Amino acid sequence: MAKLPVSLTINGDEHDLLIEPRKTLLAVLRDTIGLTGTKEGCSTGDCGACTVIVDGKAVTSCMVLGVTASGKEITTIEGLAGDGELHPVQQAFIETGGYQCGFCTPGFIMASKALIDENPDRTEEEFRHALGGNICRCTGYTKILEAVLKAAEEIRTTT
Amino acid sequence: MSEYTVVGQTVARVDAVEKVTGAAQYGADVHPPGMLYGKLVRSKHAHANIRSIDTSEAEKLPGVRAIITQDDVPSGRRVFATDKVLYLGEPIAAVAATDPDIAEEAAERIKIDYEVLPVVQDVMEAIKPSAPRLHGDGTKDGPNRREISGEIRTLSRDKENDHSDAISNLEAELENYPDEVYYNISAESHTEAGDVEKGFAESDVVVEDTYVIPRVHQTYMEPHVSVASADSSGKITVWASTQGPFAIRSGIAGTLGIPLTQINVIGTTMGGGFGGRFGVIITHVPAVLLSQKTGRPVRVQMTREEEFTDGRPAPGCVIKLKTGATNDGRILAREALAFWDSGSVSGASIGSTIRVRGVYKIPNLKVDAYGVHTNKSGTAAYRAPGAPQAIFAGESQLDEIAERIGMDPVKFRLMNMREEGDEVPAGSSEPKVGYKETLEAVADAAGWWDREAGENQGWGVAVGDWTNGCGPGGVYVSVHEDGSVRIFHGSMDITGTDTAISQIIAEILTVPYESVTIRRGDTDSAPYSTGSGGSVVTFTMGNTAKLAAEDAHRRILELASERLNTNVDDLELRDGKVHVTSADPPKSISLGELAAYSLSTTGGPIVGKGSFARQASTPALAAQIAKVEVDPGTGRTRVLKLVASQDVGFAINPMAVEGQIEGGTVQGYAWAMMEEMQYDENGNVNPGFVDYRVPTSADLPTVESVIVEVPAPNGPYGAKGVGEPPITPTLATMANAVKDAIGIRINELPIKPEKIVNALKSNGH
Repeated sequence: MAKLPVSLTINGDEHDLLIEPRKTLLAVLRDTIGLTGTKEGCSTGDCGACTVIVDGKAVTSCMVLGVTASGKEITTIEGLAGDGELHPVQQAFIETGGYQCGFCTPGFIMASKALIDENPDRTEEEFRHALGGNICRCTGYTKILEAVLKAAEEIRTTT
Repeated sequence: MSEYTVVGQTVARVDAVEKVTGAAQYGADVHPPGMLYGKLVRSKHAHANIRSIDTSEAEKLPGVRAIITQDDVPSGRRVFATDKVLYLGEPIAAVAATDPDIAEEAAERIKIDYEVLPVVQDVMEAIKPSAPRLHGDGTKDGPNRREISGEIRTLSRDKENDHSDAISNLEAELENYPDEVYYNISAESHTEAGDVEKGFAESDVVVEDTYVIPRVHQTYMEPHVSVASADSSGKITVWASTQGPFAIRSGIAGTLGIPLTQINVIGTTMGGGFGGRFGVIITHVPAVLLSQKTGRPVRVQMTREEEFTDGRPAPGCVIKLKTGATNDGRILAREALAFWDSGSVSGASIGSTIRVRGVYKIPNLKVDAYGVHTNKSGTAAYRAPGAPQAIFAGESQLDEIAERIGMDPVKFRLMNMREEGDEVPAGSSEPKVGYKETLEAVADAAGWWDREAGENQGWGVAVGDWTNGCGPGGVYVSVHEDGSVRIFHGSMDITGTDTAISQIIAEILTVPYESVTIRRGDTDSAPYSTGSGGSVVTFTMGNTAKLAAEDAHRRILELASERLNTNVDDLELRDGKVHVTSADPPKSISLGELAAYSLSTTGGPIVGKGSFARQASTPALAAQIAKVEVDPGTGRTRVLKLVASQDVGFAINPMAVEGQIEGGTVQGYAWAMMEEMQYDENGNVNPGFVDYRVPTSADLPTVESVIVEVPAPNGPYGAKGVGEPPITPTLATMANAVKDAIGIRINELPIKPEKIVNALKSNGH
């Protein structure tokens, strides 16, 4: 299949690539770039494990073709920590025990970050509904919600 | 104030940073140079003869490197279907190609000519003489035909309160088959204690019901995956997402007829398991065969759809249960007949039917269970295998009895619960257990005793018991010249067990938790370790870790005795230093100094070894209370409160223990209210998250967990395995709460809104 040129900014690095139009952004991130922190849980946009942030919005990268992300700014789980410091959302997931097997965790952290960036003042009930596109099978969500509320509080008070 | 400094404390897990930064390496993250992508070719029918397999069109596709069928399995052990397929999605062939899309296209190009056969999906249909047979030649004398004693053959039910069409249909149809012979039987199990007929005769109240529990999928978030690499010498390396690398090693060796030493299994970080990650032929063997054929590494990764069609989920079952009790609340007899849907192969956990006995003094017990073949994939363990199903029946019926005799459900349970020394029906005598403490704890925490319920609201309680397993394990611990402690072992981390092992070793060597690091070896390097399932790891590896640390502790004191010219009896290891107890002024030497000194001694470096295999475990109880509100118009049930207590013996890392309780409870909730793998004559019809709904954060409130600690004599610091118990009572907890809310008992799970609406309608609402 003929490949198309695309230009992606991923975690601040520019990548000029030739990719097949049928490849998803998830496949490009994992197989072409080698950023395997973004996970594939269903490939149908239902579980949220592949969530990344594209131009400030959380998207399921299995539902986006790589070519359509050209020119956009993409943040993955690998791009969240900076200067040796974990992002407050990452830190909160550790402190509250908001992960177990960890497979859904990158998606949850990216979805939570986008939600908090958009509005850190959501109530627990609002966060519960806003995170309804991400599936976790280990935690039962109680400690994930604790993590998200803690991170939101942290971000609210430091910015 | 705890006598311990590291165990019993909440600590961040050893894998915390790699899990939140995306650095943890799961199976599909392994990508050796030159790797090919494997794809399984699957049956498009639930039951069919295979007339021919034509791979010619697939072979022409550029990028295809190998196509294999059963002919490519030198040992002859069944990996692929040959002449007959028994379920939709059963593997028939496999392809390896340079790109996943090419592999998928090649798989689609393989032409298989089928002769479609009649299908049977319902266990109660499958046992009938007229049912299609999965195995044998279909004659009366073929395999899987059993004579069954006729005592409780006809399914009966509580017609007043039960509105399940499925059950009444079964009942009507079975009456057409007077000969007492069942077919498609894969296994059977029978247990008896006392005399149930006598027990029922002496009872004031006898309740009899049929419970239908669906097949559900473990739904670990990481689909099955393996990467295999066979080198030119024949050595095979397998990166496997598995709960038991050593079991996978022996499984591959057995299936392919090759020596253990030729296989090295590297367990990758596991994206959830819940019992479903022990299978050998699902992806591991096909990956090895493809790598052997191509000489290149091959990854075989299932899609979520393949997980639903060819995973190994938890078996569904039909349980007929009868309980007799006196008016003053003593349970006298219980009898169960269960049919478990084992799918195309045997292996459903039918022995767990015995768990209908619960934790109660029941003098007369009889349990008969059968595994039944249907046109579905085989089954596997799922978190306390078989217990949630049996306990759902047992605890639902207990509430019915309590209601008939007018007794509070918690008091009724407390009155009948076994204590230390009581005889376990069809078992031995009970050790020191915390059943009553655990139920009382949840009742207190949930506010049971002064509970209030508004309109359409209800409360439900149930308990579930489980005993952790035990298995072999080995641990090495070494102390380095900077005072740091390194642990080496071979068991897979199952959400926090590496952390518990590290805490135990830090405790014994009196060093900060942060100075301990833990490394897992592969099957070539690590000592043998049992699989991480059956709630065994903290119990087994915790004991093993203790032994290793104690061994290191001995060497440390020996070195200090040499170095300080002091008798070992006058030395004490405390705060990472060996102190001379009687010295004035105080005299001590650090672990780092001793480790450095050890390098030039005759005895050598500090290396502790722990090796352990078996000790008696102690039963644990999980007790739960739910408050729900049912919308009679839509049938939707909203959980207002969900409180879960559990006797964990001793919580080594309390936050991780709470996580297990919360997660297990939510899985149980989902089995009760949402999840069901659905099948028709074409096979599974809901192979994705849109049609197979698992809970999201929007479905639930906070789960309140209550830790109860009644120590296990042989557990490390008294710890019991905590992973499995919390799923066991939730199915009944929810059903009991719904019954309390709407006055109608629903015995066929899941309790979806339409069932509630229909039940209310037929009750005149």
